[in-house]
Amino acid sequence: MANDPIHQFQIKELVEIPLGGLNLSFTNSSLFMVATVVTASAFLFLSTSGRGLIPSRMQSVSELAYEFIAGMLRDAAGSGGMKFFPFVFSLFMFILVANLFGMFPYFFTVNSHLIVTFALAMMVILTVIGYGFYKHGLGFLGLFAPHGVPVALMPLVVPIEIISFLSRPISLSVRLFANMMAGHTALKVFAGFVSSMTAAGAVSTVGAILPLAMTVAIIGLEFLVAFLQAYVFAVLTCMYLNDAVHPHH
Amino acid sequence: MKMSSEFIAGVVVGAFLGWGVDQLAGTTPFGLIVFLLLGFCAGVLNVMRAAGTVAPSKLGPKP
Repeated sequence: MANDPIHQFQIKELVEIPLGGLNLSFTNSSLFMVATVVTASAFLFLSTSGRGLIPSRMQSVSELAYEFIAGMLRDAAGSGGMKFFPFVFSLFMFILVANLFGMFPYFFTVNSHLIVTFALAMMVILTVIGYGFYKHGLGFLGLFAPHGVPVALMPLVVPIEIISFLSRPISLSVRLFANMMAGHTALKVFAGFVSSMTAAGAVSTVGAILPLAMTVAIIGLEFLVAFLQAYVFAVLTCMYLNDAVHPHH
Repeated sequence: MKMSSEFIAGVVVGAFLGWGVDQLAGTTPFGLIVFLLLGFCAGVLNVMRAAGTVAPSKLGPKP
């Protein structure tokens, strides 16, 4: 059991709530989502409550995160996209804090489940579709007909563009999920080598230094991945929102 | 990882759409074949966009 690298992803029901035929139990995944939201909100609220003109250390961390996402969104979607800032910022903070929570030993990594990341990605894409049709009406469909394409090629290009659009939520969610799950599994596998090699005898105990060094290195890499994947998700969200704000150029 | 997920997503969506069309229209192998090929194209397009070889769909320089 101790060496099972998949064991860490198991869902455990903490409070069972059967409702009709549905299983709405409060699981360890829900617990860490709540913890993520509470931590992120509390951090932002407490660190900015001073409202110093010269920011304190914590306040400048919050301001850095704000400036980072605001600049990213303004670059990608223009000032018309800034009305989506709360959405993108919440997504970024949720993913980042959830990934960093996953780095604690014995903590559950919320984003290592495909359904969670897929729900986030569908939220983004449905926002794009909903806002695109609300703002531009049927003109939003111009997104699927690129400029400068001969009319004869349209029947071929339009389905390709549509499939390309529909594949966005899938690639968005699979990327985050696969990175988090692969990283944590690799970490657990190498950490498991350390304990099993130490148990095997004196000679292999010396050799256990190698997987131990690897574990340390992977932990560093995982912190990088935690930030990078939150960043990538936010950047792609901004690019997709740009399609909703400016469907044709 | 980024590129492969883009490509696989294109192919998977194409296959899924083709399967759906087949279920609706009862044209069993052909929808899957056509949409799988289109999905392959979309996957390649996704990868080229992600790599920056092709200008992102509508994301050219700002007006």
